[in-house]
Amino acid sequence: MGVFHRIVRWAQRKSPWILHFNTGACNACDIEIIAALTPRFDLERLGVQLKGTPRHCDVLACSGPVTRQVRERLKRIYEQTPEPKIVVAVGSCATSGGVFDGLYNVEGGIDKAIPVTAYIPGCPASPQAIIDGFVKVVKMLEEQGLQERAVERQKVED
Amino acid sequence: MSDHEKIMQVPVGPQHPALKEPESFMVDLRGEKIDAVRMRFGYNHRGIEKGCEQRSFTQDLYLVERICGICSYAHSTAFVQAVEEIAGLEIPRRALYIRTIVAELERIHSHLLWLGVAGHEIGFDTLLMYTWRDREQVMILLAQLTGNRVNYGLNTIGGVRRDITAEQIPSILKVVDLLEERTKYYIELAQTEETLRQRLANVGVLTREDALSLGAVGPTARASGVDRDTRRDDPYGAYGEVSFKVVTAQSCDVFGRTVVRLGELLEAYAIIRQLVKNIPDGPVLVKAPRRIPAGEAVSRYEAPRGEDVHYVRGNGTEKPERVKVRAPTLANSQAVAKMLEDGYLADLPIVIAAIDPCFSCTDRMIAVKGNGESRAMTWDEVSRYGVQFYKARGIDFSRVRLREGPAA
Amino acid sequence: MSATETVKADLEARFPALAGGAIRASRERRLWIETSREIFADVFRHLVKDLGFTNLCTITGLDEGADLGFIYHLAADNGVMANVKVRCPKGQSIRTVTELFPGAAIYEREVEDLLGAQVDGLGPGPRYPLPDDWPQGEHPLLKDWKQKKPADETAAAKGDTPRE
Repeated sequence: MGVFHRIVRWAQRKSPWILHFNTGACNACDIEIIAALTPRFDLERLGVQLKGTPRHCDVLACSGPVTRQVRERLKRIYEQTPEPKIVVAVGSCATSGGVFDGLYNVEGGIDKAIPVTAYIPGCPASPQAIIDGFVKVVKMLEEQGLQERAVERQKVED
Repeated sequence: MSDHEKIMQVPVGPQHPALKEPESFMVDLRGEKIDAVRMRFGYNHRGIEKGCEQRSFTQDLYLVERICGICSYAHSTAFVQAVEEIAGLEIPRRALYIRTIVAELERIHSHLLWLGVAGHEIGFDTLLMYTWRDREQVMILLAQLTGNRVNYGLNTIGGVRRDITAEQIPSILKVVDLLEERTKYYIELAQTEETLRQRLANVGVLTREDALSLGAVGPTARASGVDRDTRRDDPYGAYGEVSFKVVTAQSCDVFGRTVVRLGELLEAYAIIRQLVKNIPDGPVLVKAPRRIPAGEAVSRYEAPRGEDVHYVRGNGTEKPERVKVRAPTLANSQAVAKMLEDGYLADLPIVIAAIDPCFSCTDRMIAVKGNGESRAMTWDEVSRYGVQFYKARGIDFSRVRLREGPAA
Repeated sequence: MSATETVKADLEARFPALAGGAIRASRERRLWIETSREIFADVFRHLVKDLGFTNLCTITGLDEGADLGFIYHLAADNGVMANVKVRCPKGQSIRTVTELFPGAAIYEREVEDLLGAQVDGLGPGPRYPLPDDWPQGEHPLLKDWKQKKPADETAAAKGDTPRE
């Protein structure tokens, strides 16, 4: 593996930028995500930062069961996020629809609309679980290297 | 050309206006001021009322609890109260005391959360960090008392599923003592930190008449001098057995809404102390039938955001005939357009945040028309525009130092 | 007489049609009033203007077979609630109450969207709570409404086969 790849991976490992998107959730997971960034849990020490734009983010962290109104916007944000990109479904709703699975205005989870890389379950996902999940994601970025993942994803979609 | 007019002409951020998704706020600008706003809601619509008809009353407890992740206990309790009324159950007093203690703990964590979010919206992130660190005390306590930080699963039809032990009482009082000290500090901050007043006073004005005719509730209404609080006016739980003040303000603005919530925090500590002191012995549960008789009830609850209304109709089966929920934010949403009118675009984020909305407003798209052009802005963009707008006028929170509280 | 009983007595005296058991106090601070369409507006106005019921909490719409039912949940500052019920055959319209309660518009749009109610006098405005691409004529809170998975609907509209 070349020097360039090692640097890219190091940069990605050092500060994954997260875009946090709520797809119709009750807000509990969203609050726990932000709580994970506040002093008691301090996700920022891992280099994780919340960024407002898909164009510069490495990780798309999504909560919620995907309401009908939000579905297209979610897909569009996914498309705008540059490769390599990781999608994390935060919470039971994002994972499977949670208690809302089967309701008429709900798709039933993030992976009903876009591909998901990692799932952090919980109702809500606790800050500890969120941190654990993101540490694993960061390790994934290190170990697998996202260049490779982009190639894999392309193969699947062909 | 002034700085903010230049900002208005900067090309739109990453989400292009031709995105074809419905904007939540359509803002007509006249210069830097808002002429009119049209708002669109429903992003969070999931179909819960229908879902309630398709599931049993007990399953519905878990569904209704998740209407909102901040005032989940409000919805759970409002629902269960209505069901218990239809079923003619007499709930043990100890259970009512426990419900009321948890209700006030929820109010505390919600108001502290709000304080932090409001801080964030005006560019005062230090306040977010400090208040959310304080709030962690309550989250830890709630997890100890109920098993979860949110969505406590505490209510059941007939009472509560867990008792409070003697050992837990000192923890409750310790948290209350600590947070009371922190709250008094935040009140002092609100009274002495001029930048806060400059940023929040005379912003988002809602007259008392408008608050009443548009149906505002909770701290939003009380800050406009509307003396209504469900806990006092239509008592439920153990509120009939404690004494507390209903906090109002006359300033009709965002600063008033801040002052009201801070005052309510102090009242919450006082209420909890009384409840803990006087909690009766006895069971925490009575047996409830699986089939709820035919009948109807309407239950009201003062959630942190305001009056929460649940109507339930039973038809003699295990499933409800109808469940109708009117969350407080929907009531307050009707007043927001009025509050924004004739105010600065720069104030939009804090004015909306000040009703403490229970929808995730940070992902909303805002369409802005004015100066002969129209563009779509993300919530973040309007927020940042607001912070810059006020920095240019000398209101800058990055200089403000806060006193730290004890670590969680 | 309690506050609740006072309201009941006043209504029965003023509206003889309500005196025959149309008003029920399920408990303290809870009145349930069944009115006909003919006198609903007068009863409602009297409660709001004369008896201090200045808080319209919400409007509950009900599917009652051939009719839609509407419960207007009114409250007074002393905590008494007057829940006023009126029925209307499906396909016919009810009159808006936004002249008395401008904030009621959202509750009226809600019963239009979810139950297919028709509210006269409700000005233009965005629907609530269903999305713009919700199929016409589908009102999910009706008892006989058949739920389709959202993915199936949008897929069907595009001519794709639905995803399992």
